[in-house]
Amino acid sequence: MASTCPTTSRLLQLPAAVRRVALCQTLTPTVLRASPIATSFGRDSPATTITNTQGRRDYATAQANPPPTRPQTPSSSSVNETEVSHFSALASSWWDPHGSSRLLHLMNPLRHDFIRTCLAREAREPGEKLRYLDIGCGGGIFAESAARMRNSAGVVAVDPTPEVIAVAKQHARQDPTLMEPGNLQYINTAIENLDQHLPDAAARQFDIVTLFEVIEHIQHPAPFLRNCLDSLKPGGWLIGSTIARHPVSWFTTKFMAEDVLGLVPRGTHDWNQYIQPHELRDWARQQPELSTSDGPGWQMQGVIYVPGLGWKQVDGSETIGNYFFGVKKRGLASN
Amino acid sequence: MPSRPLLLKRLLALPPTLRRSFWSSSSTNTTTTPPSPSQPELYDIVCVGGGPAGLSFLAALHSHPATRSLKTALIDTQDLTTSRSANDANDAYSNRCSSLTPASLRFLKDIGAWEHVDRRRVQPYHAMDVWDGVSGSRMHFDPMDREGGAGGLLGSLAEMLPGSRFQASRRKYETAGMEEEAGVVATMCENMNLTAALLQRLKELQKEGTGVKMLDKTKVDSIQLGSAPASDTAPDLSQWPVVTTPTGDRLAARVLIGADGANSPVRTFANIPAHGWDYNQHGVVATLTLAPPSTPTPFHTAYQRFLPTGPIALLPLPNNQASLVWSTTPHHAQTLKTLSPTNFTAAITAAFHLLPTDLTHLLTHPNLSYPSELTWRLPATPAKTTNLPANFPTITHLQENTRAAFPLRYRHASTYTSPHLALLGDAAHTIHPLAGQGLNLGLADARALAHVLADGVQHGMDIGTEGCLDSYSAERWGRNNAVLGAVDKLQKVYSVGSGPVVWGRSLGVEVFERLGGLKGLVMGAAGGGSGGR
Repeated sequence: MASTCPTTSRLLQLPAAVRRVALCQTLTPTVLRASPIATSFGRDSPATTITNTQGRRDYATAQANPPPTRPQTPSSSSVNETEVSHFSALASSWWDPHGSSRLLHLMNPLRHDFIRTCLAREAREPGEKLRYLDIGCGGGIFAESAARMRNSAGVVAVDPTPEVIAVAKQHARQDPTLMEPGNLQYINTAIENLDQHLPDAAARQFDIVTLFEVIEHIQHPAPFLRNCLDSLKPGGWLIGSTIARHPVSWFTTKFMAEDVLGLVPRGTHDWNQYIQPHELRDWARQQPELSTSDGPGWQMQGVIYVPGLGWKQVDGSETIGNYFFGVKKRGLASN
Repeated sequence: MPSRPLLLKRLLALPPTLRRSFWSSSSTNTTTTPPSPSQPELYDIVCVGGGPAGLSFLAALHSHPATRSLKTALIDTQDLTTSRSANDANDAYSNRCSSLTPASLRFLKDIGAWEHVDRRRVQPYHAMDVWDGVSGSRMHFDPMDREGGAGGLLGSLAEMLPGSRFQASRRKYETAGMEEEAGVVATMCENMNLTAALLQRLKELQKEGTGVKMLDKTKVDSIQLGSAPASDTAPDLSQWPVVTTPTGDRLAARVLIGADGANSPVRTFANIPAHGWDYNQHGVVATLTLAPPSTPTPFHTAYQRFLPTGPIALLPLPNNQASLVWSTTPHHAQTLKTLSPTNFTAAITAAFHLLPTDLTHLLTHPNLSYPSELTWRLPATPAKTTNLPANFPTITHLQENTRAAFPLRYRHASTYTSPHLALLGDAAHTIHPLAGQGLNLGLADARALAHVLADGVQHGMDIGTEGCLDSYSAERWGRNNAVLGAVDKLQKVYSVGSGPVVWGRSLGVEVFERLGGLKGLVMGAAGGGSGGR
């Protein structure tokens, strides 16, 4: 679906030096401060307007009370076909600890540390079990690890790419604990069609919904994130990680990681789809059901990969590279 | 199947172990084969070898909240239920002793094992005299060196020693003021005493419901990889090692621990090469009785003299007993084993007091009466010429049936881990006993591996995968290699009887004497003991 991103593809055809200038121009303060809608919908093409209209409404108008349930057409999809084919090509190497997903394997422990940070302030019963929904689970790096956590009451993991789900299911067999009923369920679907696979509404409610390294692969993050929120129990956390759109992240994640060092397969990321932490927070603030006060409602942590040392938490680095975010859905009674 | 969700819910309410057994039985029922003895039982950890390294690893695992409830099994050929009473006769000490560094001691305390050690049978020592049998160069180590602020270098060298957190622990000493440990170089402890304490700790943990399944008096019949899954939906155990016992029990291990000694069958199964060489030396061990010191003192000293044939060490035990570790040529070791007890005792005195030539003469003439030889040779060899420490004790006799000899080797496995498998202690490395580090390295391994697994569990890792286990190998291999190498070099340097190496090393020892730091290494090193198992 390269045609859906004319700006990007045209940009990529330019010589590197020109491209860089062009990129820098897109990073003028006005764009940086522009609302997420402006950046995420500026590149839309008519071909993908189905979720667009809804998304635009949710985002742009920032209604105080969006309709509680949105009609879902089966054809509506957050899924980009190019992304699907890209990841299906990567499927076989997903679990090779030295393969193309190496950086994700190395990052995985930090995901749990971050979730712990988010939950640290909660007055939860000791030993309380949580239901996880992992969206864009890929080969299951996080989903498997979540299913092994002592606080897991079961993990549902979804991904639209059939090949990676097949890899994930295959790999889970290597750990008998994961095959115990209810521990880990993989579903090959886009998140908006989850109801077709889990018809019971209660089964679609989760304490923790995770989006690790996902939203930078989504063309229309706003409607996608709204869908994710629907699966969140009141008081639950939406937790994810992504990459900030900054010249540094272009240099590290595109130029160095993909072109020079080959740490990540070429074409894994589209820098233009990266999302700024403040854009995410602005979006979250517009969602009435989200609590976005610092600490109890909103968490953020920048992380940097240092070759030879691994991933390190670096406060403040969230604006230039990879970062985790967590936002809490308001509880039924309080806040 | 309308009842299915209900069934599932009820199943989920069960504790994991029950759930697992239900699940495995139900899944075998649905396949064509009925539950058969050939279906291996699944364990998170199967530890082969119940020596101090393996036992302390299991105790560490079950003492940590994250790994407490892992399902573990221990396989050992020996009877692990025998109480220590067999060894309680108060003045008899086993010839298998180890000197535990303060870091090892702290680890044993952390995992709740030290309180089960019979304290009457352990002996801390507070100073160490090491001298060169050829040049007479000598160094004395006592805690003043440590407190004297030789800081940086001592710290950095001590970093290489097991229990690496030497500096941090020093600071802990200073702030917490643990009187009991203050000024202790190391603590002599019989391996048997330690093993009994660790077993008692494991029993205690079993009562708390987080125990190890003990398969003692059990040999490992075979180790193989699990079979390919029967169906497309069955769990795939083809990467899991499966241990078979003679009774037909089959244990599939998420992590198989090789704590099974220098000739580790687990290492052989994993096809991990262990490089090294034989020293062409044998270690002679024995328990000796000493004359009571003229002025009783609470301070004890360990002695080690480097002879061209190998180092000889005398390490204090309670009640004026001492543990001997004498590394020497296989020929001399054979002679020593066959000497009469009086000649043996006199030979040890000779080894500490006389010139190396006198000693060689005696050992090549085992029919001489050594005590009468000593009566004229000792006065003819003043302590000044050999640099014998002034307070060196008089050895009165040999405790019966404590003489033993074993060949000395250097071995180091090329890695400590492979998928679903990790090596601990002597299975990973065999070291010359002049260091007395065998057991300490094993305990440090145990601590590191337990820590890595706990971290893995807390982050939802499959603890059998390389991603988790490799950090154990990465943490321990380099450090162990540094200690192994340093001890090996010491051994080689001191095996030379004459010439420039001797001049160089006497200079070296003099430099040691001035640099508290390197002494720190030798101090941690000389300590004797026959290592892990």
